[in-house]
Amino acid sequence: MRGFVLVDGGFEAVVEPEEARILASLAAQLSALLGEAADDESLSGSDPAVARLLPDAYRDDEEAAAEWRRLSRRALAERKGSFASRFAAALADASAASESTRIRLDEAGALDWVRAIGDLRLVLAERMEVGDDREGMRDLYDWLAWMQDDLVRVLDLAEERRA
Amino acid sequence: MVALPAVPLIDEVVDVERRELHASEVPWSTVVWNDPVNLMSYVAWVFRRHFGMDAPTAEQRMMQVHTEGRAIVAEGNREAMERHVEAMHEYGLWATLERAPR
Repeated sequence: MRGFVLVDGGFEAVVEPEEARILASLAAQLSALLGEAADDESLSGSDPAVARLLPDAYRDDEEAAAEWRRLSRRALAERKGSFASRFAAALADASAASESTRIRLDEAGALDWVRAIGDLRLVLAERMEVGDDREGMRDLYDWLAWMQDDLVRVLDLAEERRA
Repeated sequence: MVALPAVPLIDEVVDVERRELHASEVPWSTVVWNDPVNLMSYVAWVFRRHFGMDAPTAEQRMMQVHTEGRAIVAEGNREAMERHVEAMHEYGLWATLERAPR
């Protein structure tokens, strides 16, 4: 993958099947984690990655924080889960292909990607603390950073062109 | 020694003044906290995109988060700040709301 280019009405990147499979697998895991977290508030206490994905809105007021969790936590987890599942879905064809695939995103799609990639990095950062394959996770973490930075660059370019 | 009055008179005066403010007028702040994961370019972009900050302001707030550990990115009523905090969480930034310093 060489990064995104601006095209009429969106953004394009060429993705290798192996890259697409890795990204789709990570995205599916993230979506599943957020699905579990939406149904089970106690995961915020037992899994630091969930705590970081869905942080409390109040820091020094446990009562307000609990009220916030009651009203907002589930819907937020579901929205974040949908960013991840749309990210995975956009990679489905490229994952199944035998050759590199040109992926086209509109702005909403690029927003799903940039957010899901950020959330994946939050999870990887926590998993690297305790995981076995730290070097492998570090490579993924850095690769995702590059990809997110690249998406920010083209989203900015699109914004400039509109202005 | 003079005995202190049982009721702290100064606080009472302050309380009376506060009671005159409608709940929707009490100012709150949206605070973004530093984390070691999110990219500086991404955080500045989120500030531009969500809050409509110009590039130098977004850069300055991002650097404040980075160097001071936190920055206030918006002020207003509680409901509006809750919406900002939720939006920041959608972007994966670590944000909380708190009463604005008065």
